[in-house]
Amino acid sequence: MTQEKQMKEKTRMMRTKKLTLCAMLISLALALAYAERFIPLQMVIPLPGIKLGLANIVTLVALYLLGTKSAFTILILRCFLGAVFGGGITGLLFSMTGGLLSMAVMATASRVPLFSIYGVSILGAAAHNVGQIGMAMILMQSVYVGTYLPYLLIVALFTGFATGSAGAGVLRIMKTVQRTEEGAGG
Amino acid sequence: MNKNLQLTFRKGDLLAILLVVAMTVMTAVFFLPKNTSSQNAVVQIYQDGELVKEISLGEDQTIRLTGTYRNTIEIRDGKVAVTETDCPGADCAHSGWISSVGRSIVCLPNRVEIRIVGDAEVDFVVR
Repeated sequence: MTQEKQMKEKTRMMRTKKLTLCAMLISLALALAYAERFIPLQMVIPLPGIKLGLANIVTLVALYLLGTKSAFTILILRCFLGAVFGGGITGLLFSMTGGLLSMAVMATASRVPLFSIYGVSILGAAAHNVGQIGMAMILMQSVYVGTYLPYLLIVALFTGFATGSAGAGVLRIMKTVQRTEEGAGG
Repeated sequence: MNKNLQLTFRKGDLLAILLVVAMTVMTAVFFLPKNTSSQNAVVQIYQDGELVKEISLGEDQTIRLTGTYRNTIEIRDGKVAVTETDCPGADCAHSGWISSVGRSIVCLPNRVEIRIVGDAEVDFVVR
């Protein structure tokens, strides 16, 4: 009986831990998306919607650490909260289409043994741009917006690599943390 | 933790890069304008997908657009730019001056698009 109780206690602890981690990742994504506004990448490369995609690091980490379902939940909540905090409806439409397409591509690619986190991140960044430009075409009812896509895709190679390496750094630390925790029996 | 977690760059990732490069080339072929020189270029201003104004690129003019946000569009010396805006990010203003046919400036927050089109070209034709 005590063993059963202990087991129950343990799963509850794990659930609480996962919930806390999810909440932390959502706020981290929001903070990163906000901080990103102060990095004037569009001053250097004048393309609409160009950004580093720092919040993508969170999606990447969540995907590997917590699985597709949790990463999906984090993404949806992040997009909605981002809209509340100043993105507006148009911002929501863009972050949602870009985010969901990127998420789907990354979830698939992360299951392919061929790709490391770098490849997954690059494909995700490219998918994000495709989603956003697709949404822009629908909203503006114009194919002309597509002229930006080739440029954005080239940039995605670099930003995807950068967020991939940041994600790798985070996961490397998380791996050690998890191992230590398991070793301590907690 | 995902079983397939690999934290270092691998050869397989080159395939991912190749895929994106291939997509870049494909989209470039499909979307980038083929003919960029025209003597009688026209500036078309679209808002919410509708043509609101059409001015010759040779006419110096200042246009003020309202909507969710404001854009000030200037045509000067055969070039066009968004010179002032209050939209978040101000990507449209950062896009600078454009002058060749096929180029466009977009303001996503205000759903405004400024295109330079050639004389005979009425709209994008998908074949």
